[in-house]
Amino acid sequence: MNVYIRNILRFCVLVLLQVLILNKIVLRWWAEPTGFPVFVPYIYPLFLFLLPFETPVWAMLFCGFALGISVDTFTNTAGMHAFATVLIAYLRTNVLTALLPRNLSEYSGLQPSTRNMGWSPFLVYTGFLLLLHHLVFFSIELWNLTNLGHLLLKTFASTVTSLLFVVAYLLLFTRQDNARV
Amino acid sequence: MRNFIFFIRRFFNLILFLGLEITCIVLIQRTGTMQGNDIISSANAVSGLVYKKQSDVVYYFGLRRMNDSLLRENANLRKMISGYSSIDTLADSVGIVDIPATDSTRHIVRFSDYIYRTARVINNSTNATDNYITLNRGSDDGIGRNMAVISGTGVVGRVEHVSRHFSSVLSVLSGKQKVSARLKDGTNGLVIWEGGNASTLVMVDVPQQVVVKKGDSVVTSSYSLYFPPGVLIGTVIKAEQVKKNTLQRIYIKSSTDFSRLQYVYVVENKMSKEKNTLESQNTEGKK
Repeated sequence: MNVYIRNILRFCVLVLLQVLILNKIVLRWWAEPTGFPVFVPYIYPLFLFLLPFETPVWAMLFCGFALGISVDTFTNTAGMHAFATVLIAYLRTNVLTALLPRNLSEYSGLQPSTRNMGWSPFLVYTGFLLLLHHLVFFSIELWNLTNLGHLLLKTFASTVTSLLFVVAYLLLFTRQDNARV
Repeated sequence: MRNFIFFIRRFFNLILFLGLEITCIVLIQRTGTMQGNDIISSANAVSGLVYKKQSDVVYYFGLRRMNDSLLRENANLRKMISGYSSIDTLADSVGIVDIPATDSTRHIVRFSDYIYRTARVINNSTNATDNYITLNRGSDDGIGRNMAVISGTGVVGRVEHVSRHFSSVLSVLSGKQKVSARLKDGTNGLVIWEGGNASTLVMVDVPQQVVVKKGDSVVTSSYSLYFPPGVLIGTVIKAEQVKKNTLQRIYIKSSTDFSRLQYVYVVENKMSKEKNTLESQNTEGKK
């Protein structure tokens, strides 16, 4: 399948999955200890993580903005998701350069995946950017630092859960075999 | 000039990044003030349609619960009607109490009129800091900004964005919204939501001498700009003294189950515009 069509489809699938299903479930980590923040897992940034390696930074930024604004439209949080996604879109190339053994230009025609990178580098890459996204988003949403513990707890719990959902998505929707490049 | 172009080309990504982030900040700022941003809200045509399609499917799973709640509401209304008719029969024997005929109250009866429109909830959230509800009616159906939204069981919120066929409602579960409330003994105060549990609201700054019992009902007061007076907000769970001053906080269990909203009434207050213009004259006078 053409790389453009595949990514546009993935954009739609992830946004709809996020908006119609994940946003509806209220998660409290484990049972329901009182005072534990309610949170939502956000997996839609996965679209940015899976764009091809050679996507230029300016295109990443526009994709990030479009993605964020689409989710914002559905959740009535104009700009909040977009702020976080533009940030991770900007930093993605740097994180990839730091994590990968070879120069990014050598990976032409490929996209980041567990197959191309191996599980642990991919999870570090996804986990770090997700953590950043959640931290930025929840900080903007709460918009006060008086309850720092609450914010950090919410970010941490949400990131862990999002990561689980990301792994589930990868296992379900991407081809898994042992061939590594 | 050449240096300038070099500069732009060298830092193009950074400039683009900062530009987009600033756009986002501007958008966030503008949602803080109540105007604008109808396009980037769940009231716009695309997201409204998506939510409507989803609701059309999910709708059937809740029919039974909705039926029960409608029956309960009907029972309440019937009880109220029977109350009125019993007064009427009494009035028959005592004398004629004809309210519309007495001139002094006539225009009050005619104008203090609320129009109720039904709407279906097609999207709902309870887990954000500011929660929004999307309804399947918009300006074509007569919905306007700042109209109150109530359900059969109690208050829900206030219309914030309107498009032609959809509207999005800022729910009471939001830090941005305070509801003017009245206790059983007539004390007025503000009810806010402090995040966390979707069914716990707090009435703040209630004087210490006010005594409340668990289970007392809290209703909207007539000071409210949007809500009709006497709509149930919830029942008292407990009262808590604030150490710093002589006020107390009253915790309220909201009577509306926000996670299971299906039908709501959008209430238009025909007098609110006149009231607002009159009250804004007061503040102008002070300047």
